[in-house]
Amino acid sequence: MKRKGIARLLALALTGTMVMGTLTGCTFGFASDPDDPNEVEEEIPIDTSVDTYEYRTDLKGTEISVLNTKAEIQVALEEIAVIFEEKTGIHVEIMPVTDGDSPYTKVVSLYNAGNPPTLSILDTTDVVALAEEKAEDLTDEPWTAEAEGYLTEINGKIYSFPLCVEGRGLIYNKAVIEEALGETFDPATVKTQEDLVELLDRLVAAGIEKPVSLAKEDWSLGAHQLQYVYETYDGTTDGAAQVIEQIKSGELNLRDYDRMNGFLDLFDILKKYNVAKGDPLGADYDEMAIDLADGKTAIWLNGNWAWPNLKEAGADNDDEYGFLPYFMSNDENDFANQKIQGSASKQVMMDGQMATEDEKAAAKEFLNWLVFSELGQQLVVYRCNIIPPFQNNPYEPTDPLSRSIYEHVQNGETFSASAIVPNDHWSILGGAMQKYLADRCDREELIELIEAYWAEQE
Amino acid sequence: MEQTAMIGGRKAKIARFFAMLGLIVIFIAYMFPFLMVVINSLKQKRDIIKSPFSWLFTIKGLSFDNFVKAFTQMDFLNAFKNSMIVTVSATVLVTLLASMLAYYIVRNNNLISKIVFALMVASMIIPFQAIMIPLVSIYGGTLNVLNHRITLIFMHTGFSMAMSVFMFHGFIKGNIPIALEEAAYVEGCTRTQTFFTVVFPLLKPIISTMVILNAMAFWNDFLLPSLVLTDKKLLTLPLSTYSFYGTYSADYGTIMAGLLLCVLPILILYLVLQKQIIGGVVAGAVK
Amino acid sequence: MKAKNKGKDFCIFALLGILFFAAVVIVPFVYGVYLTFTDWNGVSQVKNFIGLKNYIGVAKDTQFWTALLLTFKYVIVVVILVNVIAFGIAYLLTRGIKGQNFFRAGFFTPNLIGGIVLGYIWQFVFSRVFVNIGEATGMKLFEISWLSDPDKAFAAMVLVTVWQLSGYMILIYVAGFMGLSEDVLEAASLDGAAGFNKLRYIVLPLMMSSVTICLFLTLSRAFMVYDVNLALTAGGPYGTTEMAAMHVYEKAFTSRQFGVGQAEALVLFVVVACISGLQVYLTKKKEVEA
Repeated sequence: MKRKGIARLLALALTGTMVMGTLTGCTFGFASDPDDPNEVEEEIPIDTSVDTYEYRTDLKGTEISVLNTKAEIQVALEEIAVIFEEKTGIHVEIMPVTDGDSPYTKVVSLYNAGNPPTLSILDTTDVVALAEEKAEDLTDEPWTAEAEGYLTEINGKIYSFPLCVEGRGLIYNKAVIEEALGETFDPATVKTQEDLVELLDRLVAAGIEKPVSLAKEDWSLGAHQLQYVYETYDGTTDGAAQVIEQIKSGELNLRDYDRMNGFLDLFDILKKYNVAKGDPLGADYDEMAIDLADGKTAIWLNGNWAWPNLKEAGADNDDEYGFLPYFMSNDENDFANQKIQGSASKQVMMDGQMATEDEKAAAKEFLNWLVFSELGQQLVVYRCNIIPPFQNNPYEPTDPLSRSIYEHVQNGETFSASAIVPNDHWSILGGAMQKYLADRCDREELIELIEAYWAEQE
Repeated sequence: MEQTAMIGGRKAKIARFFAMLGLIVIFIAYMFPFLMVVINSLKQKRDIIKSPFSWLFTIKGLSFDNFVKAFTQMDFLNAFKNSMIVTVSATVLVTLLASMLAYYIVRNNNLISKIVFALMVASMIIPFQAIMIPLVSIYGGTLNVLNHRITLIFMHTGFSMAMSVFMFHGFIKGNIPIALEEAAYVEGCTRTQTFFTVVFPLLKPIISTMVILNAMAFWNDFLLPSLVLTDKKLLTLPLSTYSFYGTYSADYGTIMAGLLLCVLPILILYLVLQKQIIGGVVAGAVK
Repeated sequence: MKAKNKGKDFCIFALLGILFFAAVVIVPFVYGVYLTFTDWNGVSQVKNFIGLKNYIGVAKDTQFWTALLLTFKYVIVVVILVNVIAFGIAYLLTRGIKGQNFFRAGFFTPNLIGGIVLGYIWQFVFSRVFVNIGEATGMKLFEISWLSDPDKAFAAMVLVTVWQLSGYMILIYVAGFMGLSEDVLEAASLDGAAGFNKLRYIVLPLMMSSVTICLFLTLSRAFMVYDVNLALTAGGPYGTTEMAAMHVYEKAFTSRQFGVGQAEALVLFVVVACISGLQVYLTKKKEVEA
């Protein structure tokens, strides 16, 4: 019976395929050559010869868990957990958040289940929501001294470990620009919105018809773009919080706020040169990465987390990609035109409610090991491919996007403002931005929607 | 039952021709997305996105890499075992309990029956979101029984009771004549014996239907297992595909290959049971 | 049946099933109802009784009512299309057509694709395949992605739901047709011009129990639509296709107003309960008992 079933299934699949083949095979393109499947990816070796970290041995046998909400580092974290257990005897269980779950929902259900993870990787907003009731106070941990500027304080206390620095801006493909213009491209020459328009016009003249990729996703529009309005107030998290208060209370009229207008000016520029201009809400995220790598476009608004996508699209570690600031005005001296935004976007919160003293100690040991041991430092950078916010970590990221952020950080060309907004900000105002992107509303209506959103918040 | 309907006049022939034609067209439309999965599961992500239609005939663009990757990353055999245990146990349990309960409700038109049936029908329209957190809070926080397969089996059974009872109820009421049971009682059978020897075999068509619907739901379910199981050793097949989804993007080729690996057992079950559905009707046809 | 067996019969046949059901569905549901009268945020350890405040929040949430209205529109279209199509196909597939087993398997197969993959595949079809066809043929209908226009995105939702649900309903209708006796099947074969009338007056009344079930299932599933909504349109473009169940989830977990979301889920439940109760009552009346 079973064999018959399989045979029938195969017959079914094949017949269908063939029918479809004859119907559409000629109209549409054929597969391009995929990358050679035999190509083995080379990992940077971890140097284990020096290990000066003083391991605690008294916690052997303790078990802790880490809720990982950054799916792309799951495999790396599992590898790290194994090494950590070899060294200390502490078992670290890495729990993945599966698709369809938001980190917050998962943590909430785990707390309800009486089984919260010892450590949870969360967004800053989540930490703010949960910290005072659930989290362990980490203010006195030694790593706080190494992460200046990237710590989140809640009523004067630190409840979370900044995992990585992530930055965003206008990603450019240097090779594409240089090839189109026939000259070397120095990103430092683009200093204002006018310069950007000039560059884009030259690219258009050189044959790149629509040089910009603009994502239509609500999280990109609502969180990564619109939040510049708050974050460029003065470039600090406190400043962002202040301006949000002013918008909420109605004290600040967005129509007269230069950052709002500057933001919309740039957004209009991006819209004008958008590769998906004919159907901006039909843009495809994965295709944008391919377009940028292929040189169909030259600029994509995104952050260094986009590297895996670019890599899949065919980009290499040696290729030159970098970030231009998100230009907010035509003033060369405006910090927003000189610096790119880079902040600690993922925070690790430690459970202070259900964890035993041993578990807490083991979890603290794990975090310290990541920051202070040679092994941990290398693993974080080379395996997780993240930029650690800790000054004492000497290892440099390997992919071009992270390297660009890293260099900006080293040169003091970043601002670390990170606006703490309500959790549905990206989804509701992302929707409003979609409307504006599709030309279904004008500036006035967009501003009204933003004001209405803030007026509803308590 | 491959009987050919009798051939009428020319008109009927033409009607049959168009019916067949229409069927084929609709069939192709139905199969289309599934074919897209089959084809794209054999391709690299780049090709999936840029040329979803590129064909099997360009063999060089195809490989089984995605299947290999999905198989290893999912820890397929272990996840398959977990899914199997959960699905089989829950399906057997719910089939047995629901058919008995439905039979009781149909044959005992008392107040309890009415209340239970009404509650079950009403419960089918409870949004899962409304009981998700309370459920976890009771079974995790208070009883502390999460993270066991048996809890998941228990919950699957409980959640599918309503719909299964509803379906069995409709079938028993419409298709099982009470006369047969009365004859059995005359011969001295107890109620239980009557149910299992006379009624249960007659339920074959609906049992097959419910087995496939329930098994499919248990096999493919994501939300409930994700709330109940966190231990990696216990993950079911759909849960084990988590690593294919990134924060901003996903590994589509592997996802599709993984999906096919998950779906195949259910498809085979359906093909097997389809014969049973037909056989059941022929054997138990009441004339 | 003898009266003294009543209690024993109940224990053997009904008790266990009821217990399972009550423990998993009824108890959490009742607890959930209780939670709507508190200010619990889903995670905190304190729960204060706040009366009807959450329900006032529901009344004030205009987005919820907009979503509910849209859901009504969607349900009506989906229920009609799904049942007409599934009934028709199931009818054809029980007529002894050549290769009907093959067809049945085929119609069932798409039903196996769920969740996020389903959304992705269909997104593909709408934003790529259709656009490709549009480019090749110049058809205005396919010029831009369906998902970037509110009306077309709604149509896309309907199309995908019909595609998915009808596969399921075909299965139930087929079982119903198979349950009919041979005489009826023969009488109603597509033989001659009277075929339609036979279908209408002989087959349909006998199929009413299947119709009741399918109508009820489509009705409740269409009202509860969440997966397809999330995976295909995610409520977009700009929130225009957000249905009730998705709004409830967003309210509770994205906007983090757990109490209001929970209360909205209950309101939704009551609405659907009334409507499908009415439907079951009306169609049950037409059923013929064997």
